Amino acid sequence: MLLNRKGSGARWRVRPDGPDKVTGKLAYLTDMTNPDMLIGRVLRSPHPHARIKAIRTDQAAALDGVHAVITHKDVPGLNRYGIAHPDQPVLCEEFVRYVGDAVAAVAAESAEIAEQALKLIEVDYELLTIVDDAEFALTGDAPQLHPQGNLLHRKTFSRGEVNAAFEQCAHVVEETYYTPRQMHTYMETEGGLFIFGEDGRLTVYAPTQHGFMDRMQLSRILAIPQSEIRIVSSPIGGSFGGKDELNVQPYGALLARVTNRPVKFHNSRWESVRAGLKRHPMKISMKTGVDGNGRLIAHQVRIIADTGPYATLGAEVLNFAVEHVIGPYRYEHVDVDGYSVFTNNGMSGEFRGFGGNQAIFALEGQFDRLAEKLGMDPWELRLLNMRKPDDPGPFDQPIAQTEGAKQVSAAMTASSLWQERGKHLGAEDEHAEPWIRTGVGAAFTMHGAGLGFGIPDPGAGKLVLASDGKIEAVFSYEEFGQGLIATLEQMLVEQFGFASEDIRIVIGDSDAVMDGGSTTASRATSMMWKSLQNLRPLFEEAVLTKASAIVELPAGQLRFGEGGIYAIEQGSDAHAAERLMTYRELAVAIGEPVTCTTQFHFPTSTTDLVGAHFLYTYSAVAVKVEVNQLTGRIRVLHQYHAVAAGPVINPQGFLGQIEGGSSMALGFALTEDAVMSEGQYVTKNLDTYLVPTIAEHRGTIDVHPIEDLPQEDNHGPRGIGEVGSVTLAPAIAAAIYDAVGIRVTKLPVDPEILLAASVDQLLEKAVSGE
Amino acid sequence: MAANAQGVAEAPFVWHPSNTAEAWQLKQTFGAEGVFTAGGTLLRTQWESGLAAMPTHLINVGAIEELHRLGMDGESQTGHIGTMITLSEIRTSPLIHKNFPLLTEAARNIAAPSIRNLATIGGNVLSMVGDSIPALLLYDPVLHWHDGSNGLEEPLSEWLSTAAVHAAWKERLLIAVELAKPTLDTNTKRFVAYHKVGRRDAFTPSVITAAISLQLDPDHRLSDVRIALGGGQTIPSRLEAVEAFLTGKPADKKAITQVYGMILESFEPKGDAFVPVSYRKKAAANLIASELWKASR
Repeated sequence: MLLNRKGSGARWRVRPDGPDKVTGKLAYLTDMTNPDMLIGRVLRSPHPHARIKAIRTDQAAALDGVHAVITHKDVPGLNRYGIAHPDQPVLCEEFVRYVGDAVAAVAAESAEIAEQALKLIEVDYELLTIVDDAEFALTGDAPQLHPQGNLLHRKTFSRGEVNAAFEQCAHVVEETYYTPRQMHTYMETEGGLFIFGEDGRLTVYAPTQHGFMDRMQLSRILAIPQSEIRIVSSPIGGSFGGKDELNVQPYGALLARVTNRPVKFHNSRWESVRAGLKRHPMKISMKTGVDGNGRLIAHQVRIIADTGPYATLGAEVLNFAVEHVIGPYRYEHVDVDGYSVFTNNGMSGEFRGFGGNQAIFALEGQFDRLAEKLGMDPWELRLLNMRKPDDPGPFDQPIAQTEGAKQVSAAMTASSLWQERGKHLGAEDEHAEPWIRTGVGAAFTMHGAGLGFGIPDPGAGKLVLASDGKIEAVFSYEEFGQGLIATLEQMLVEQFGFASEDIRIVIGDSDAVMDGGSTTASRATSMMWKSLQNLRPLFEEAVLTKASAIVELPAGQLRFGEGGIYAIEQGSDAHAAERLMTYRELAVAIGEPVTCTTQFHFPTSTTDLVGAHFLYTYSAVAVKVEVNQLTGRIRVLHQYHAVAAGPVINPQGFLGQIEGGSSMALGFALTEDAVMSEGQYVTKNLDTYLVPTIAEHRGTIDVHPIEDLPQEDNHGPRGIGEVGSVTLAPAIAAAIYDAVGIRVTKLPVDPEILLAASVDQLLEKAVSGE
Repeated sequence: MAANAQGVAEAPFVWHPSNTAEAWQLKQTFGAEGVFTAGGTLLRTQWESGLAAMPTHLINVGAIEELHRLGMDGESQTGHIGTMITLSEIRTSPLIHKNFPLLTEAARNIAAPSIRNLATIGGNVLSMVGDSIPALLLYDPVLHWHDGSNGLEEPLSEWLSTAAVHAAWKERLLIAVELAKPTLDTNTKRFVAYHKVGRRDAFTPSVITAAISLQLDPDHRLSDVRIALGGGQTIPSRLEAVEAFLTGKPADKKAITQVYGMILESFEPKGDAFVPVSYRKKAAANLIASELWKASR
């Protein structure tokens, strides 16, 4: 059944954080101020690659209103950051490797003074050869950007003998696919407020997706214990992976320490574009062969990912891409060779989809091309080669077995949108303009959730009956617009019976919560669900036992309900039961908070392949597009997403994630690319970097969740935060081919390839016979 | 940009002259240090991107009543659009829609509502590449300037042909754009169309902007053909050769094919980092060919 407001009934709830967001009342962390605060600014390299010969800060420091100018010499601890591998200088010493590299930072009494101070800092650079192409970077001719060279990471996976196997293939398709440098384009740019308290502890109010990781990294940079740092990291005005890594936090913390004043940072959009992360541009070359019946025999892939100047999560993104270019199909022979390569281009890093978007665009393109060679329906070819529930995962690793692949495929092929396919060809509208062509296409994915084998992936949560009678749900996860607060509240209401007024949600504050890992990798809902599964018997036991002594009824006859504790009356209507006492009365009677905690690890596969996943979400997407051959421009008319991800915890959140993900995929497919030339951004702002507007979203989106899981499955809801962003682009490419017979190999789609080849073609229908 | 004793940037002085003579005098006084501003939407982006420095003096012409006049002279069938008329006002004006419908359509396609509320027709024209220009060019537009007196008049196309190289106009104040409503010959049908093609569907810089207006007589021959093309950094212009070629001909396949070829050959758009010249030529030829086909149906 399609997911919508009407069908969801009472489960469609008002988002607790909704009213304050839509009225603008909600203060984000970057809205915070302090009467004593200074304004911080960073001096960034104008050059993509240079040696620093000298930095002179005297003039800047002497400017009235400037309180501090810092360089690498002022970093007391490790002058590096990076979630997986700290190799990015907080403040550069000898080399700058991209145009966002930080050379100095200033704290001043106003933004204008701080900016003037930046102009007064003199840096002597010796320009070095720019490495702006990842394949050039791998050659011996390229300057080496790091002591270990220009290769951040290589990931391979192989089985069988592909080269020999291609000899046996009846059909082989070789193609190279290119994907864009997409920007997260969160509405709230990076920033924060940094305050050392009277107790000497640092409080950081800055958006991040993993407060404890920021705390660890900042402690390393400042050379102070982690216990001396508090990270407040929620609410966030959008992140999509882009704020998981540190951005302005090191400068805010260092300047607050040097000046002993609160310091505020808030990037302009220009600075955000220049310094911030982007999706890895990838060049993916694939050679895939089948036998005469369409059975896959061999699949060979080479991935070149432009990771930019520093590591952050470049290696992990590549691992994910390598796993997902194999995807949900079974091959006898596989050979994948992936390279994540340092360049002097912009920073690439974590982004919703995490390497899957690029991989699936290429992989699904291969199936459409092979089907054409075979004269077969493209979806039949997929079904023929699709994994079975008990097949191992892409890396041959054991995975949680579900029917997801089959289910989404069946749902998609039964959809009215897919059924429409082909019909338009025979019965084109007499009145339609002859240059408008429509087509239908589809694509498929299995998308891993969690960080994968070999990477710490903890989960944790806490439930407290607080002294004031509130039920506190305490988690380390962050609300960045995805609806985490709403989903947590919905689980507490539906699973425990609390009213929303009974609940207080505490998130995103490292002093208040346990480390439950990052809010990334489509994992937060799964981890909260699992936490509550673990906590429910513990919390019932702890609280109802205490209540039992007070109300003088056996604990087994008590239950949680709206506003307080109720008796379970056998055989009668539970809702009509009388409340025995309120939570507040209970809390007062107990006299101290009642706390239950749980800690566990995200489920992983029994494998030794780093990054291999255990839980997957399956999705099949069909899309109808209109190609205007006058302009080569595309309109997406209708989308259908079947998503097998276990139970829908929050219908509104589920729909929002799939629609929102698909919106990002629309940009990835049609309009978005942070263009660079010789290491400089050409798209410096949102006037040339074009995200889709409401005008691009005039089409309808149907979301069909498939909730069944096998009886024995106890992993609950699977991640849905990313999957909506993965499968649309290849489906659009297939629909374009259906419409005009042109294959897309590069995203965003270049309208020029879709223009009518001649005036005759343009007006074929119009003037033939005249 | 203004600066204090430490060299720290300050906001410019903003002047609010109440008439054109006063505004012009201020500009005379400040020279290059003074810049006229109306909506300020384009200036802001130029300052932010470093294309222009924030001036010491901003001369806000918004308080000059004369520049806000929008009207139609019934007798001469000429429209008068004061330079301060915003794009939102143009988009919603019944007067404009009735007499100069392509201009309504153009305004609908420029920027976004919040910007159209500030941005003016004067600013759009003086940018030399505004998306209103191809529409205006079909209505025999004349620019009215103040250069010490109110008498200077100049056809828009003439100004466009030299504006990029001769900067003398920057010393003058644009008062209004005057448009002539096309007359409709008896027994003919008028056909008009406006297209803006960008890299997305809304709030986007133009790649190709096209406007077309023509008359069809009862035997489907074309007359009073007016076609203008612009887009991106291309200064818009009328396609006079194509207009002459089509006049008196039926819009049949042969004529359309020839026009398509003429545009590919003669239209010289500017490319940029995002969209090459080759696309712009083909898309422009396609748009005009398709409109001729539609007109002929």
